[in-house]
Amino acid sequence: MSHSITLVILMIGCLLAGLRDAHGQGNYEIQVYGSDTVPPKNLMVELHSNYTVSGQTNQIDGVYPTNHQEHETLELTQGITDWSEIGFYVFTSEQDGHGVQWVGDHIRPRVRAPESWHLPVGLSLSTEIGYQRAVYSPDTWTWEIRPIIDKTLGRWYFAVNPAFERTWHGPDVKQGVGFSPAAKLSYDFTPKVSGGFEYYGDYGRLFAFDSLHEQQQQLFVVTDLNVSPVWEINFGVGIGPTAGTDHLIVKGILGRRFNWGRKSAVE
Amino acid sequence: MLTRRRFAQLSGMAAGSVLLGAASGAPAAPDITLEIAPYVLEASPKHRIRTVAYNGQVPGPLLRMRQGQEQTIQVHNLTAGPEVVHWHGLFLPSEIDGAMEEGTPMIAPGAAARYTFKPDPPGFRWFHTHTFAGNDLTKAQYSGLHGFLMIEPRDNTGSYDREVFLGLHDWSGHFVGGDDGYMNPVYDVSTINGKMLGSGDPVRVKQGERVLMHVLNSSPTEVHWIALAGHSFHVLALDGNPVPQPQTVQMLRLAPAERVCAIVEMNAPGIWVLGEVRKHVQAAGMGIVIEYAGATGKPVWTQPTDLTWDYHQFATPGETNQSRDEAVPIDLAFDSKFQGHGNEELWRINGKSYPKTDEPILKTGQRYRLVLKNLSADDHPMHLHRHTFEVRQVDGSPEMHGLKKDVVLVPAKSTAEVEFVADNPGRTLFHCHQQDHMDRGFMMVFRYA
Repeated sequence: MSHSITLVILMIGCLLAGLRDAHGQGNYEIQVYGSDTVPPKNLMVELHSNYTVSGQTNQIDGVYPTNHQEHETLELTQGITDWSEIGFYVFTSEQDGHGVQWVGDHIRPRVRAPESWHLPVGLSLSTEIGYQRAVYSPDTWTWEIRPIIDKTLGRWYFAVNPAFERTWHGPDVKQGVGFSPAAKLSYDFTPKVSGGFEYYGDYGRLFAFDSLHEQQQQLFVVTDLNVSPVWEINFGVGIGPTAGTDHLIVKGILGRRFNWGRKSAVE
Repeated sequence: MLTRRRFAQLSGMAAGSVLLGAASGAPAAPDITLEIAPYVLEASPKHRIRTVAYNGQVPGPLLRMRQGQEQTIQVHNLTAGPEVVHWHGLFLPSEIDGAMEEGTPMIAPGAAARYTFKPDPPGFRWFHTHTFAGNDLTKAQYSGLHGFLMIEPRDNTGSYDREVFLGLHDWSGHFVGGDDGYMNPVYDVSTINGKMLGSGDPVRVKQGERVLMHVLNSSPTEVHWIALAGHSFHVLALDGNPVPQPQTVQMLRLAPAERVCAIVEMNAPGIWVLGEVRKHVQAAGMGIVIEYAGATGKPVWTQPTDLTWDYHQFATPGETNQSRDEAVPIDLAFDSKFQGHGNEELWRINGKSYPKTDEPILKTGQRYRLVLKNLSADDHPMHLHRHTFEVRQVDGSPEMHGLKKDVVLVPAKSTAEVEFVADNPGRTLFHCHQQDHMDRGFMMVFRYA
C-alpha cells in the first residue's frame, strides 16, 4: 500500500504546485489522454502529424504564422511500472519558406491509480515540462499538469483532461496558471472502429478567463482504428471557431508498441 | 429478450414451491446435509473474503460415496438468492443433475431440497453451484460454493498410501479491459483449499509415501498450471476417469472444472512449494507447502521456465468405436458478438446465444461426434452434463483413443472433437465452464427424442 500513498501524495502535491498558462504543445500533439499507462518493458512510439489547413496568416511578435504549418511530433513513451510511464517528445514543423525546423522537446512523467484500487473510473496524472523555440511559441519553457479521468461503459468511452499550464520563461510568465481542458466522447461502432468527438480548450488564466473571442476552442471529429493491441491509429478533423484558434486542422496519430522484455509464459 | 438471469428467476419461482412441498413430508434423515450460507473466508490474515459456502467451509465438505449405493443429500439454502447444486460428472436424471436449464428446480431462499441418487460413475467428481453471476463477481462460481465428491468404485484397487485433495480457486475478481479489447475478470487472490500460500496448514508427508493427489480447478474462469518443486506427478486419471496411458509429468494444467488424479512419490525430503507455475498467480497466493516429517527450513520453489501440457500423451492411438456404429457429427461453432470495449462479448454457438441456442435431438443409444470449432480468440473449457465423452482430437492432433472426460479445453482458433453415446435420456446441458461466458449465452441443451 506504500506506493499507493506515495501516488496520492504526488498527485495532491502536483495539483497544489504553482502553475500557469503556456500554450505548451499548441497544435503539435493533439490528443486526449486515457488513463492507461504503457506497461513496463514496453515502448510506445507515436508519430503525431498535424496540418493547419486554415490558421494564423501573420507573423506576430516574431512568432511564425501557423497557417499551412505541418507539424510532425515524435513521442516515445516507456513503461516504468504497472502504474507509471515516462514520455519524451520531439516537435518539428515544416512550412514554406522555413523548411523543416526543430521546434522543441518535452518530457512527460505520468502515474495512474493502480487496478488494485478498484476505482469506478480510470484515474491518472501527467506532468509535462518542455522547451520550444521562441519563433514557434513566445513562451519557451512551460510546465503542464494534467489530471486524466476516463470511463468505458459498454460501447461508450469518455475521457476528460482538465489540464493546468504554467509558463516558466516567456511573456506569460507573470500570468499564473492557465486552464486548458480537453475531453473525448467516442462510440464503438465495431470491434475495430470507434468514432466520436474530441474537444480542446484554452481558457487563459485560471479564475480570470480570457473573453470567448480570445480563448482557444477546438472541436474534432475523430476515429480510432483498433486494428491490433500493438497499433494505435487515430484520425481527426477539427475546427476552431474563435479568433484565438486555428480554424481548420487535420490530425493523425500512428503508434506502435514494442515489447522490450522477452516474457516467458510463466512471467 | 429473455436473458439467462430472467429465465433463472422464473424457473426458480416455479420450482421453489414444488421443493417446499416435497420437503414438508417429514422424510427420513438424509445421509448428508449441506447448508448454503454466507461465510467469511480468511484466505490469509490480511485477506478476508465475504462469500457463500457449503457448511461453513471452503472448499465444502469432502463427500465420499460408494458407486451405486443410494445417497440422500438434503440441501438448505440460507442465502437471499435461489440456489442449486450441480453434481458434476455424475450420470443423473435431469431433474436432480443441478442445472435449471435442464429442469432441476432451483432452491428458493430459505427453502430446502433433497437429492437422492445412486452415484455413478466412480471417480473424482465435484459439486458446485450452477447459478447466474453477471457483473457480480462474488456470486455463483465466483463464490465458495464448491466441494470435492469422491465416488468410490465397487472394487478399489488403488496403490497409494494416502489421498490429498487440492482445490484451486480465484477470488476478489473485477473486470479489466484486456489486450483483446474486451473486459475480462482478473483476480486479486488465488488459493489452494481456501488459503493463500503460507497461510494454511502444510500438507505433511513422510519419505517414501505414495500420495494420491486429487486436484480440482474450481476457478470461475482461469486455467491453472500446477507444479510441485522437487517432484513429479504420475497422472492416473483426468476428470475422474482413468487414462489409458498414465504419464509422469512435471506440471499439471487444469482448465476450469477439470480434475487430475496423480500419484506423487515422496522421495525428496524437504519443505517444498506446490503452486501455480505462473509467477503472478503464485504471488496472488496460489500455493501450498508440502512438508516432510522432520524437515526444517523455508519452503523451496523451483521455477519452471515454460508451460507444458498435452492431452494427447494420456491417450492411445487408434479407433475407439468398437461397435463401428457411425458417430453422427454435430458441428458446433463458437464465436462472440461485439458489445463494446466496455462490455463482455455475447457468446454464441452456431450464431445463437442461450436461451436461443439450438436444441439438437439425440437418439438413445446413438454415438455422436461433437465437432467443436472455436472461432474466437479465447480458450473454452467445454462441459457436457450427465455424460462422459471421449476426446478424439484437439487442435489438429492425431485421433486419440480412450481419453474420457467431461470437460475439454478447446484452444482459441482451433477445433476439438469429442464423441459420446447418448445413453442417459433427459435434457443435457453443454456449456463453456467459464462463469462469465455461460452468463453471456455460451450454453445449449441437447434433448432426447
